[in-house]
Amino acid sequence: MTEDILLLLGVASVWTLLAIGYAIAPWGDMIGYARVWGLGAALFFVVAALVWNAARQP
Amino acid sequence: MSDTIISRLRTLPPQDRRLVIALAIASLLALIIGLTGGLLTALVRAGFLNVLPESGYRYLSVHGVSAFFYWLYFAQAALVLGFSAVERGNGGGPTGLLRRSLASLGIGAMMLGFALGLVATVMGSPPLYDGNAELLADDPLTVLVFSAGYVLLGLGLMLVPASAIATLLSSLGRDRRKVLDALGFALLAWSGFLIVTGFAAIHAFLPSLLWSLGLADFPVGQETGWHILFHNLHYLPLMATVLVWYILMQALTGTKSVFGARFSKIVFSLYLVFVPPTSLYHMFLDPGLPEYVKVAGSVLSLFVSVPTLTAFLVIIASLEVHARAAGATGLFGWIRKLPWEHPATTAASVAVINMMLGISLAFVLIQEKLAPLLSDTFFVPGYFHFFTVGTVSLSLLAGLSVLLPGLTGRSLRMLSLLRILPWVASAGLLVFGGAGVIAGFMGVPRRVMDVSYGGEAPAFWSTLMALVGAGGVIMALALLAYAATLLASVVGRRGAHDSQGFVGLQWVTLPSGNTAAWTGPLSILVIAAAMYGFGAIGFELLQAVPVIATGTAGH
Repeated sequence: MTEDILLLLGVASVWTLLAIGYAIAPWGDMIGYARVWGLGAALFFVVAALVWNAARQP
Repeated sequence: MSDTIISRLRTLPPQDRRLVIALAIASLLALIIGLTGGLLTALVRAGFLNVLPESGYRYLSVHGVSAFFYWLYFAQAALVLGFSAVERGNGGGPTGLLRRSLASLGIGAMMLGFALGLVATVMGSPPLYDGNAELLADDPLTVLVFSAGYVLLGLGLMLVPASAIATLLSSLGRDRRKVLDALGFALLAWSGFLIVTGFAAIHAFLPSLLWSLGLADFPVGQETGWHILFHNLHYLPLMATVLVWYILMQALTGTKSVFGARFSKIVFSLYLVFVPPTSLYHMFLDPGLPEYVKVAGSVLSLFVSVPTLTAFLVIIASLEVHARAAGATGLFGWIRKLPWEHPATTAASVAVINMMLGISLAFVLIQEKLAPLLSDTFFVPGYFHFFTVGTVSLSLLAGLSVLLPGLTGRSLRMLSLLRILPWVASAGLLVFGGAGVIAGFMGVPRRVMDVSYGGEAPAFWSTLMALVGAGGVIMALALLAYAATLLASVVGRRGAHDSQGFVGLQWVTLPSGNTAAWTGPLSILVIAAAMYGFGAIGFELLQAVPVIATGTAGH
């Protein structure tokens, strides 16, 4: 696994945790934060997968 | 000719050039319109222009929509698309965009969004730049046009970077490299963040669009959606600025980071790691937020400067090391070796100085105890123009001044003027921002056009606002001249020297060895001292103002 993929996965993981945190936060209406950072997490997971797929093209 | 960013720009297919040039022209037009709105707003706030308050808010709406949204995002889209197309050819292989249709569609959406945004600012109640549906509840047509504009902008911000990502991915695999260069990774991260911000714009404004069409209930949660978008709007341009500096370092001097590509990638990733958690500080005024969350928000906010300052150190140290290898001597002698003949060097260097001032002031505002007292004062526009104008806009203009000549094959016009204007704009900014920050500490509100309050307000408030107006006029005129000169370089008649483009230095071949570079660390020390100084002054001043008692008790 290349450094590019590891870094992208790291970002996606942090954003996932944040999205979960915002989704279950007991104060205020934070579900919007969860939606945006959750979408971002999914995006960076997909980009990491695309980088992995592109790099292994023979 | 050696393989450089500038040489690769000239190899882009014509259809790609046209797309990027169209985005760049749109960005400059948005900047010119936004600056005109800002100039008129500054004149009204200073008392130099007597119009109805509604007209003042209309000027402010034009300024905010055009300058804070469309200028910054047209320019970023142009830069990310143009340099991604070029990065594809890094190390061999063809240059050019992939998924061009996505980019074309996105650019069309952004341009239509811009037109709708401008129409909305003149048709009904002034929507400012946030289009708060609660304030426009009696004017659903304005909400419809305004929200449709931002939804289209958001759509464009998702489509254009998608083309950039597809382009960057095509440089991997087959008989080519397995990992991206630092610049390629930076562009990938930037594109991803643009897409998320585009989604945040749609998330914030689609509910009000649907309500204005009678298809949904009133968007009671729009303010939260706006805060999320606004948070991204704070940090995405800052990330873009640092990445533009990184691009300029390579394009103008041929220098790559002395710390290696991997370290640069980690720094760029840190933006994406630190930006989301820091959004807590936008909620400092929420009375329901627990104290421990506010403290956590304050601490997390400090982290967001880490990637900016680290990237700054990487760039400064890399330039200093290579300049010394090229023969520079003395503590600051290396600065003379920079390619000052290109105006981008001046614009980016002035941007760095302004960033140091802005970041010092920002640390005052993100302190949990000071934020509630300063958030509604003129401190906010006073300090953030050091970023939006002094740092981000000058950096994006620097990026465009490298990108556009490479794409058009035309040389920049009036080089001497372009080298002077960043200094003039910054002089105006210093007056505008300095007076604005003092006005904020004195309690001058930021959301009113006339601060005299029928003569009841302290006379010094009006003096400060006159200084804000004077500084704003200088700043706006200098940037207008810069944008107009760049525009003239693209669309004007061809010059006699158009074929003689800027080649750039080639420091990459110099042996950097174990050369010491002290300017970066010294700069960080200066920034830390300034942050401490501004924070201390802020506390002292606020303790002397009666409003503190109210603010503290309320908090």
